Amino acid sequence: MSLQFLVDGLLTGSMIGLGAIGVTLTYSILRFSNFAHGDFMAWGAYATLVVVGAIGAMFGKVAPIGALSFGWPLIIAVIIGCALTGLMALLLDFVLFSRLREKGQAIIVVMASFGASMALRSLLEFIFTSRPTYFSRAIQIAMPVGFGIRVTPDQIALLVLTVLLVSATHLLMTRTHIGRSMQAVSQNPALARVVGIDVARVVRATWLLGGALACVAGVMVGILVQIRPLMGFDMLLPMFAAAILGGIGSVPGAVLGGLIIGLAEAAAVQFIGAEWRAAVSFVILMAVLFVRPIGLFGRRER
Amino acid sequence: MIDLIGYGAFFLTTALIFSLISLGLNLQWGLTGLFNVGVAGFVAIGAYVSALLTTPHDAARFGGFELPILAGWLGAMLVAGVAAAITGFATLRLKSDYLAITTFGVAVVVQLVALNAQSLTGGAFGIGFIPRPFAALAETPLLFNLSNVAIVAAVTLVAYLALQHLSKSPWGRVLKALREDERAAISLGKSARFYRVQAFAVGGALMGLAGAVQAHFIGFIAPDNYAPMLTFQVWVMLIVGGSGSNIGAIVGSILVWAIWAGSGALTATLFAPEQQARAASLQIVAIGVMLCLILLFRPNGLFGNMTQRRRIRLGQRKPS
Amino acid sequence: MSEPVLEVRDLVAGYEPGVPIVRGASIRVDRGEIVVVLGPNGAGKSSFIKAIAGLVPVSAGRVMLDGRDITAVPAHKMVGMGLAFVPQTENIFPLMSVEDNLKTAGGILKPREAAERIARMYETFPDLKAFRRVSAGNLSGGQRQMLAVARALIVDPKLLVLDEPSAGLSPKFVSMVFSMLSDIRKSGVTILLVEQNAKAALAIGDRAYVLVEGKDAHEGVASRLWDDPVVAELYLGQRPHAPRGGDA
Repeated sequence: MSLQFLVDGLLTGSMIGLGAIGVTLTYSILRFSNFAHGDFMAWGAYATLVVVGAIGAMFGKVAPIGALSFGWPLIIAVIIGCALTGLMALLLDFVLFSRLREKGQAIIVVMASFGASMALRSLLEFIFTSRPTYFSRAIQIAMPVGFGIRVTPDQIALLVLTVLLVSATHLLMTRTHIGRSMQAVSQNPALARVVGIDVARVVRATWLLGGALACVAGVMVGILVQIRPLMGFDMLLPMFAAAILGGIGSVPGAVLGGLIIGLAEAAAVQFIGAEWRAAVSFVILMAVLFVRPIGLFGRRER
Repeated sequence: MIDLIGYGAFFLTTALIFSLISLGLNLQWGLTGLFNVGVAGFVAIGAYVSALLTTPHDAARFGGFELPILAGWLGAMLVAGVAAAITGFATLRLKSDYLAITTFGVAVVVQLVALNAQSLTGGAFGIGFIPRPFAALAETPLLFNLSNVAIVAAVTLVAYLALQHLSKSPWGRVLKALREDERAAISLGKSARFYRVQAFAVGGALMGLAGAVQAHFIGFIAPDNYAPMLTFQVWVMLIVGGSGSNIGAIVGSILVWAIWAGSGALTATLFAPEQQARAASLQIVAIGVMLCLILLFRPNGLFGNMTQRRRIRLGQRKPS
Repeated sequence: MSEPVLEVRDLVAGYEPGVPIVRGASIRVDRGEIVVVLGPNGAGKSSFIKAIAGLVPVSAGRVMLDGRDITAVPAHKMVGMGLAFVPQTENIFPLMSVEDNLKTAGGILKPREAAERIARMYETFPDLKAFRRVSAGNLSGGQRQMLAVARALIVDPKLLVLDEPSAGLSPKFVSMVFSMLSDIRKSGVTILLVEQNAKAALAIGDRAYVLVEGKDAHEGVASRLWDDPVVAELYLGQRPHAPRGGDA
């Protein structure tokens, strides 16, 4: 038995976890499950790709950093991509979600996000076609690290990046005023206003953070697998399952849920067959809903 | 002229099958307020069940039981209804979003099974040789098409009348009451959930029936027919027609299918063959934007009568 | 006559347009006073102070705080204006620690200032210091009320507004909460509160208003109001039948 699937599982889990943070925050603060969140990932990946292309056009070919498959242009591009994805989420909220929220029917917002998801994804297909593309076509050599496991430099870098981003998000949520404000709004929006918290500002912060993390997750998929318009939509069910498994509203829960689902998917690929991968998150989701609907770190619904 | 009638019959048959799905969705959403994002999954279950029950025996896969078409349709309703009941049972005690996410997952898994469980579903190539009603008339296409419309119209009419009756019955009034008042629903507890599971199951059964009817109309099914796009189309149809109205579900389906088919034909003539895939995605963008615009500016659609539910504003709750 | 901290003139307010719950109520609160608003159930007491705090839409009338017009200022800006509001129930964030609860109110302060104020609150309320790392949901009813009041005081408000601080508390905690309010007033904070528990509130209040059908029907010195025949008929007479709480 090869333990290689552990690495694949951790990487898939990282991408799912980063995306699930956005899902869980949107759910707990804005009170709806955003079906367009997967498409934020895809838009983030394509935005980053475009910026990489623009940097390439301006500065010519740039050598990759060390053994990695990418150089500084991608790093700059991800940062810009995060900002763009966050802004896109804000824009979507401004023209669509916030107006429907005003009307007060939560489930209509879910439906609108479903429509927006379809439109966003098809727009990508229109602009970039449905053919997959890549950040780099270079083949990386995987290094053996013992126990029959091999990892590429890219994989190591992205795992480290995930750890950094998750820690930073956790610190933001627990140690800063905006993070505490986000917690406060998710627990009791009316009281949050009384205490002096500007709910509109918290909503903006939520979109920016969720969009930025979705962009990073999308770029990770792009580096390790490929970029295509459906990439985010295919991650939607695993992200929802991770958010629910971890307990809605919990950032560490979302990440842990993502890792569990990633590892379970990788195990399923190894022991059952790659074609059944997509069913794993559904099985886990149903199990959670039957056994412990509040999830691992969940708190009782108010 | 004959061509035109033939095309009209074909168009109407497809539109009426969509109407049937929309009617099922209207029972779930319009009457009961249950959000189903996995419509395509329940339609697929119906199509596959009926195909397995009625096709000739096939050594390469499970079944082929050569049962009569009507038995296939009943089986389709039964299995799709049970699948919906299980989904509802698992999620209806939780917040409404969980039902949405779970149904979405159902559709993903159903498509996965259709694609990969070759010995059951024929895999990516799907199932062919599905018996068609009035196959004997296939020699005269016009008569064949018209008889198809007639039977689909009859099924839709029966479903419509049954749903009209249901929504006016005490059962339907309870569902509406539950939809209007979340608190009443919670205070009714288990029995409220039971009502909702029933509505969700009946809606799912209708979707299964629609899938079966369509399978026998086309004679061939494959996993691609049941992509999330189908769910999306049906939602647009119901919202355009107006949630809560059965007549709206039917009219909305015909109207949106006309727009869909018309704009499809338009892109086919306007764009070069290599550009058509892109043009088709633009068509989906337009429909997606349309859905959002209707939700924003005309949430009741053409015939809708779904009253506003209790307002819950972010950060501005009423005192208890 | 001393200067008013709060002056409310002919306030009309309600959740739905055209359906006012508060129908032209006027009060004033002078610096250093404790003013109590009493009234039978359904008189609109709760809506009245929520309207003052920006939580219920105001359709007419004016609210002046320290000479500034704060009518229809959004609720989250009230703290910055110097008005701190303590809701009746669900007035803490149960899943956050006591310390984080206090910090949520420090948004308008500089971090250092906020830390100093929190330290001062711990001096005033040693119970809170002992539980600073505990989730607020684990506190007792009286401690929750204490936390809610401490959080309101973090910003050094000109006026502290409380909606039924004794609601749902056991008699032991009721007297604790009222003696706490009395102490807070001694430290120079002006207080406006709505109460069902008229006797306890009048015992610590300076003046009181009686609100009937959304209007101020009677005003008087707190200590003498209890024996006032008008009040007895308007309010106290109806009291035995009135269920607690649930006042819109």
